[in-house]
Amino acid sequence: MKIGVFVCHCGENIGRTVNCPEVSKACASFPGVVHSEDYKYMCSDPGQNLIKQAIREKHLDAVVVGSCSPHMHEKTFRKACASAGINSYMVEIANLREHCSWIHEDIAEATKKAIDLMRFAVERVKFNHPLQTIKVPVTKRSLVIGGGISGIQAALDIANAGFEVVLVEKEPSIGGHMSQLSETFPTLDCSQCILTPRMVEVYQHPKIKLLSYSEVENVEGFIGNFKVTIRRKAKSVKEELCTGCGLCAEKCPIKKKALSEFDEGLSNRSAIYVPFPQAVPNVPVIDRSVCTYFKTGKCEMCKKVCGREAIDFTQQDTFVTEDVGSIIVATGYKLYSIEKKPEESIYKGYGEYGYGKYKNVINGLQFERIASASGPTSGEILRPSDKTEPKKIVFIQCVGSRDESKGFSYCSKICCMYTAKHAMLYKHKVHDGEAYVFYMDIRSGGKNYEEFVRRAIEEDHVNYIRGRVSKIYEEDGKLIVKGEDTLAGLPVVIEADLVVLATAMIAQQEAPKLAQTLNISYDKYGYFQEAHPKLRPVETNTGGVFLAGACHSPRDIPESVAMASAAAAKSLVLFGADMLEREPIIAKVDESTCAGCFYCQKVCAYNAIEKKEIRDRQGNLKKVVAFVNSGLCQGCGTCNATCPSKSIELIGFNDDQIFAQINAFAEV
Amino acid sequence: MNELKQICKDALTEKKARFIIGYKEDKNKRVKPFIAKTPEDAEKLTFSHHAVNNLAVYLSRFKNNIDGKIGIVVKSCDLKAVTALIQENQIKRDDLFIIGVNCSGVVLDVAKEFNKDNTQIKCKYCQAKTPPYYDALAEESKEFEMPDDDQAELMAKIDKMTAEERLEFWNAEFEKCIKCYACRQVCPMCYCEKCIVEKSEPQWIDSSSTSRGNFSWNIIRAFHQAGRCIGCHECERACPMGIPLTLLTRKMGMVAFSEFGYRHGTSLTEPTLIGTYSTSDKEDFIK
Repeated sequence: MKIGVFVCHCGENIGRTVNCPEVSKACASFPGVVHSEDYKYMCSDPGQNLIKQAIREKHLDAVVVGSCSPHMHEKTFRKACASAGINSYMVEIANLREHCSWIHEDIAEATKKAIDLMRFAVERVKFNHPLQTIKVPVTKRSLVIGGGISGIQAALDIANAGFEVVLVEKEPSIGGHMSQLSETFPTLDCSQCILTPRMVEVYQHPKIKLLSYSEVENVEGFIGNFKVTIRRKAKSVKEELCTGCGLCAEKCPIKKKALSEFDEGLSNRSAIYVPFPQAVPNVPVIDRSVCTYFKTGKCEMCKKVCGREAIDFTQQDTFVTEDVGSIIVATGYKLYSIEKKPEESIYKGYGEYGYGKYKNVINGLQFERIASASGPTSGEILRPSDKTEPKKIVFIQCVGSRDESKGFSYCSKICCMYTAKHAMLYKHKVHDGEAYVFYMDIRSGGKNYEEFVRRAIEEDHVNYIRGRVSKIYEEDGKLIVKGEDTLAGLPVVIEADLVVLATAMIAQQEAPKLAQTLNISYDKYGYFQEAHPKLRPVETNTGGVFLAGACHSPRDIPESVAMASAAAAKSLVLFGADMLEREPIIAKVDESTCAGCFYCQKVCAYNAIEKKEIRDRQGNLKKVVAFVNSGLCQGCGTCNATCPSKSIELIGFNDDQIFAQINAFAEV
Repeated sequence: MNELKQICKDALTEKKARFIIGYKEDKNKRVKPFIAKTPEDAEKLTFSHHAVNNLAVYLSRFKNNIDGKIGIVVKSCDLKAVTALIQENQIKRDDLFIIGVNCSGVVLDVAKEFNKDNTQIKCKYCQAKTPPYYDALAEESKEFEMPDDDQAELMAKIDKMTAEERLEFWNAEFEKCIKCYACRQVCPMCYCEKCIVEKSEPQWIDSSSTSRGNFSWNIIRAFHQAGRCIGCHECERACPMGIPLTLLTRKMGMVAFSEFGYRHGTSLTEPTLIGTYSTSDKEDFIK
């Protein structure tokens, strides 16, 4: 075997601590090596040409590159070698950067180690075999989890490109938080007006299958070939019969007992309900926890009045499975509920602000509902306690955000903007009112964002006070807000009629569970993790699963929409080819020695191990052995490590290769 | 005794079992494994304090059995091996006709009578004289006062040793090994068709009887039993060189129980320790 060795300086990254020419010289003397050279940037075009040229001139069979992590450029070098005529899997990378130069200081020692690493790789490559990539078909359908603005955008983009989409929403209607908002910054256009046409478009789109009131239960398979089980929660209403006339909700005797989720608890709804008049689909569901029939077995008022006989009390949760090629996660966020928390909770809450105790201390989403034309006050700014117009209103920013002791260390990003918007909306409706904003910093990066905040301050005369509020208490129907103006260095006391807290955005409670179902990572706050913070921001570490919107981190509507379109584009890239090429690095069973204990099956995280029956020519069962589904196997090697008789090998990482590497080490 | 013979005879006559793996006494009064194929053979079956062998070791060779049930005579300790083999897909419960025997201890030295000083270690801490499940049960249960569990004392002593002392202790023990692999042959859990020690491309274990080869063989064998050994102590009984092999396997069984609350071969439904991941698994070994 003729081996070529190429040592990369990686600019100064490797060259600074490793004497690359010396490494190249040492490698030239290794048995089997017929060519050895070093170059400043081996991954560059001239660098790759050096490799190609050497392959052609010296008829190399295998190549070893000493460079950065194989994560970074293994593909580059494999491609280069393939184009020069040798099999891509006859290439091995010795990681001289992350494993050597970056972590050492002494040049002589690091150079010695680099030579060792190169020797291991040279010994290993002698046992490499040419491999062919595996081709698997792609199911050209997408699953979008979450029907907020991100999910809607992603679903529409994919569907408009001509591919089918399954959109799963856990609530009775799509729309998400955006449907609750009054106006949106920085243009103050009506949220519902821009959102509801899109909701209807989703519903009417021939390529979109909308599964509302449903949740993803289980996900199997892999990129291009997922099998998703979806739980369709019992609506107690036959969707295909219901016309959405609304008579049932009107006649439902439970009017006051259930708090409206859509109005953030500021109004009541019936037991059978649609979340809001523009809901999509416009089909009510029965909330069984409050419904009289489900509690006592009597009532059935909705059933009596329904002319379509659409009410079905016996309905059960059903399960449907969908085959999809990609999954877009757009499950959104929720607000940090900041009432006083029990001592043992990791989040301490803000008992001193009296949220939950004083009716007139509300959060941002509640203010959105109050300001909204479709809200409980029909858009009039009235405080919850006595429905009077507040003449003095206080907004407090960073409640839970940027506060490690009681909340979260991160910035919720949207609060500066929506607080400015709230203050502005208030001033537009209550001309003689006074608005105060307590802030730490104003973060208004974004197109026309800073201008928007300046407008609130300069044109609408909102009083911005830099400082925190220490306490809020009620006195004679007024909320006494005690804080500090840190710029003036003075304490501030404001007698407010209404206080709005800009509470932190947090991840959905079920996010970690969903992450486990999808096999994707999440951070300590429960936000899903991207594959690379800069270069792969919408991808996850699981191929074919993409992220959109606030389930990844706090973000506003324009950013969520952009991310959703990006995730849709990533799905479409996947659907661009009929077959997916997969690395041939997968496990292989030696059927002659497999004893069929199936410990490999138990440890396999990808359900890639199946049972295979071996029969003789008469058809008699001789034995049952493990069999690797090459489509599912990800080549992680766990089965390989578990097998007691070493009857499973990982192709491309077989025992001979590993032993050659270890033996080369032992020879030092 | 007649009860066991009768059960087996009936089972064979009524075709509840194709054959029965049991014990018989040979002409030198040694109790040995015996396969009874006919009702007449059943007359020869016996059970006593000298029925030491774990007969479950024969089961894995019938794993693709299609010709009717296999009868097997088991003590409670042996039944754990049967259970473990079912858990590890080596045999199906439906393919077995299990004849449990009440056991009140077996001998250490088969040439001598059963008494307080001639008792196997496993009997000294045995919790179940009666097998937890069976298709038929034979033998009356008898009470014997068991001597102290002296192995536990030795284990406590080894636990207190420094790493160097322990290495020295085991080096001295493994020095004796002649690589006859009797420990493997007699072990019901060693059912691999090709043992890792026989794998030569590449060679994982140095198969020569050098101290290095001995050490790697015995340690790897022990580790392949981690969370899997059911504690029948057959390896130690079969070892011609008297290496206290169960010190290793029992210790690992104890760790499996103390760390994960798991004992292999005690439940047909519980997921096996090896191959099962739980988010409540301890991670304190990661430092």
